[in-house]
Amino acid sequence: MIARVAESCFWLHRYMERVEATARLLGVNFSFLLDVPGDGIERWRPLLVVAGVEEEYIERVGSEYLNDEECVQEYLVWSEQNPVSAWNSLCRARESARTIRETISLEAWTTLNRFWLWMKSPESRALYSAEPSTFYERMRENCQLFNGVCNDTLLHEDPFEFMRLGMFLERGAQTARILDTKYHAVGPTGEEAETPVDLGEWIAILRSCSAYEPFFKRSEGSLTGRTVAGFLLLDPAFPRSVTHCLMRAWNFLQLIAGENSETGHRSAGLLVDLLTQMRTKTIDDIIHTGLHAELTSVVDQVTVICRAVEEDYFSGRIPGEEMMRELAIQG
Amino acid sequence: MSSTDPTPGDSFGADPIVYMPFMESSPRARASSVPAAARIASSDRLFDAYRPPPGVPDEIFQASGQPRPEAEYLVDLLEEVGAEELRRRKQLADAAFLTHGITFSVYFEKSGSERIFPFDLIPRPIVAEEWRRVESGLAQRIHALNSFLGDVYGRGRILAEGRIPGEVVDSAHGYHPQLKGIRPPGGVYIHIAGIDLVRGANDELVVLEDNIRVPSGVSYVLENRAVMKRIYPKMFPAIGVRSVDEYPTRLRAALTSVAPKITDRPRIVVLTPGPFNSAYFEHTFLARRMGCELVQPQDLAVWGGRVYVRTTRGPEPVDVIYRRVDDDFLDPLVFRSDSLLGVPGLVDAYARGNVTLANALGNGVGDDKAIYAYVPEMIRFYLGEEPILGQVPTYLCLREDDCRYVLENLDKLVVKSVDEAGGYGMLMGPQASKKEIASFRERIKANPRKYIAQPLIQLSTCPTWTGEGVAPRRVDLRPYVVTGRSSWVLPGGLTRVALREGSYIVNSSQGGGSKDTWVLDGGDR
Repeated sequence: MIARVAESCFWLHRYMERVEATARLLGVNFSFLLDVPGDGIERWRPLLVVAGVEEEYIERVGSEYLNDEECVQEYLVWSEQNPVSAWNSLCRARESARTIRETISLEAWTTLNRFWLWMKSPESRALYSAEPSTFYERMRENCQLFNGVCNDTLLHEDPFEFMRLGMFLERGAQTARILDTKYHAVGPTGEEAETPVDLGEWIAILRSCSAYEPFFKRSEGSLTGRTVAGFLLLDPAFPRSVTHCLMRAWNFLQLIAGENSETGHRSAGLLVDLLTQMRTKTIDDIIHTGLHAELTSVVDQVTVICRAVEEDYFSGRIPGEEMMRELAIQG
Repeated sequence: MSSTDPTPGDSFGADPIVYMPFMESSPRARASSVPAAARIASSDRLFDAYRPPPGVPDEIFQASGQPRPEAEYLVDLLEEVGAEELRRRKQLADAAFLTHGITFSVYFEKSGSERIFPFDLIPRPIVAEEWRRVESGLAQRIHALNSFLGDVYGRGRILAEGRIPGEVVDSAHGYHPQLKGIRPPGGVYIHIAGIDLVRGANDELVVLEDNIRVPSGVSYVLENRAVMKRIYPKMFPAIGVRSVDEYPTRLRAALTSVAPKITDRPRIVVLTPGPFNSAYFEHTFLARRMGCELVQPQDLAVWGGRVYVRTTRGPEPVDVIYRRVDDDFLDPLVFRSDSLLGVPGLVDAYARGNVTLANALGNGVGDDKAIYAYVPEMIRFYLGEEPILGQVPTYLCLREDDCRYVLENLDKLVVKSVDEAGGYGMLMGPQASKKEIASFRERIKANPRKYIAQPLIQLSTCPTWTGEGVAPRRVDLRPYVVTGRSSWVLPGGLTRVALREGSYIVNSSQGGGSKDTWVLDGGDR
């Protein structure tokens, strides 16, 4: 397939995954705040930290607003200044989709376009103010609808595979980011007994990942940082766990590379390395060396893998073309 | 050839929420045993007060206010829908265009500025007999223009025999002498044409303008029809309207038939300048409906005289390019050397016969507004036939006598610049101020080759919904002709309508909208 189109497919789903992750984080933060005593911890700043925008936020909005409910939400959802705000991500997703309109299905396009038109409309803004939880739920549903429609209406070949590759890499990294909010909100996770605040945070994190019920099917009633982190990082069957996402990304990368392909070695090698790390470690190893460090490393490695995918598949270089450009410039 | 839609379920099929209400209140369903007139409140009637402007032909009504006989049934059916219901359906139709992203981008505005092309729900009918004449007239015209292009880039017979002055060709903006001697695969230059027709005072459709470079608008014909079918589901079979759905299949077949002979399974791509182009929606539409890839110039590269597309598995050859990019921006090695846009080496690959470009290069000489005056002569010269379709009398300011006449009669004529389109660079003499006329007088004197003049054509009117009620608005018609081994004319075409009262300018960039064009099958289905 055309390299530029593959790139847009890849990014389309990465952007949509970001929209969904933002909606998940913000939506769940409310229920968390209702469950824990307010004073001891920072309520909103961790969301800026895991989105990677704390510094710009301080610059543009001000450090005195770091825990301001309205300002932080506004910045993460709507701000045009924030490159990773849900609104900006959605606009970029739509622009990517528009650029490859001939590749995606009519249903996928109208689903996304309707979502975009709704976010632009006064109704969404009114819902955001009146019932934030419903608003975030609606955003999430729209993202899930889009994923489902793509799955059910596109040909399952290269464009689809690049979409899923982008989706799973981004989702794995987002789960790691969400898990890391605990570190930024209430501090490091050790092996000793945890406070009610810790536990409230873990429940919120499970909810952010739609993992509450799946988790209790696995944990046999034990709710600790160790069991939650173990589940979200390592459970191979949970669709948002880091390991699961990397495995799925690997499946799609294999489909893309094909059997006899000469390209793709670098991205595939990096992904295999990370996947091997995840599958050989236990949660005790991870907590021993530091959960926060492990999560940071996952996010960084995924970034490197994404760059390698770009180099392996999207550059579309053709031998001799530099010479043709030279000729063109010389006239 | 199959006339079935190559992508069933596409084009609005997936939107039951928007369309269900139309289904339930379709005109036929409501036409029970109660006489129509008894059920329709007078305020809900559409056409009672409708009168075309005096002396102007109308597409549906006669001067008396009675419908044309062949349009009577259509008028009855529309009356059954009524004004209130029409207003409601109009809103639903607009919402559907927006959701489906059937929009054009507006330049120089903030990103996200996409507008729907205003669409009118009252169709423009054309009777079968008139259409047969239009069809054969268009095929004849394209045949002659294609021969002309082959000739001016070949031996130049028509010039040598003095039937067209050489200077008219040499000075045409779209004439590229460097293309002489290059013959496109199959000898086809004009794969896709959009010929603008208008109905003049004598009630005949005549040619106003040829568009044989990169004509646009066909996607709106197909999308408009899809909306109309949902809005008036029962009216189509009742009236008998010819289908437009086979356009993409026909186009793909035509392009395949003129692919270079180097391959059995040609790879066809649609080349777009990119998502910021105002016709981007159409480019994606055509790629989708033909089932081929949409590429941007940077996706293509030329190596060893072959065109390649950059894929995730390396370069792969391309055989046919339906390009929606102007000549000037196709190949910086040949055309605009100040521009790095385009695909370096593309013209070389084309000259070697390794790639088909549709339309071919250099067609601009054929739809130059001065060359237009000579098309009837081409038809006689190349085909030995008389033109089937008339055209508008044209004065070429480069001819001394014509120029004198034009300068003396500027207040009666429409003056057009030969190389501008979209309704720009025009003087509408009868409506212009003294100052505008004086300014054009100077411009013509300074550069007579650049201008032509025509009498003002009273474009016909068609009843059009204005938001308040139905009123006459001026329309033209752009049918599309697809040519591979032979020519095929899409039944219908884009009816463009000047939505402003009294306006003659139908261009979308200047307040124009569109209508669905219904070629009636005359019962021979």
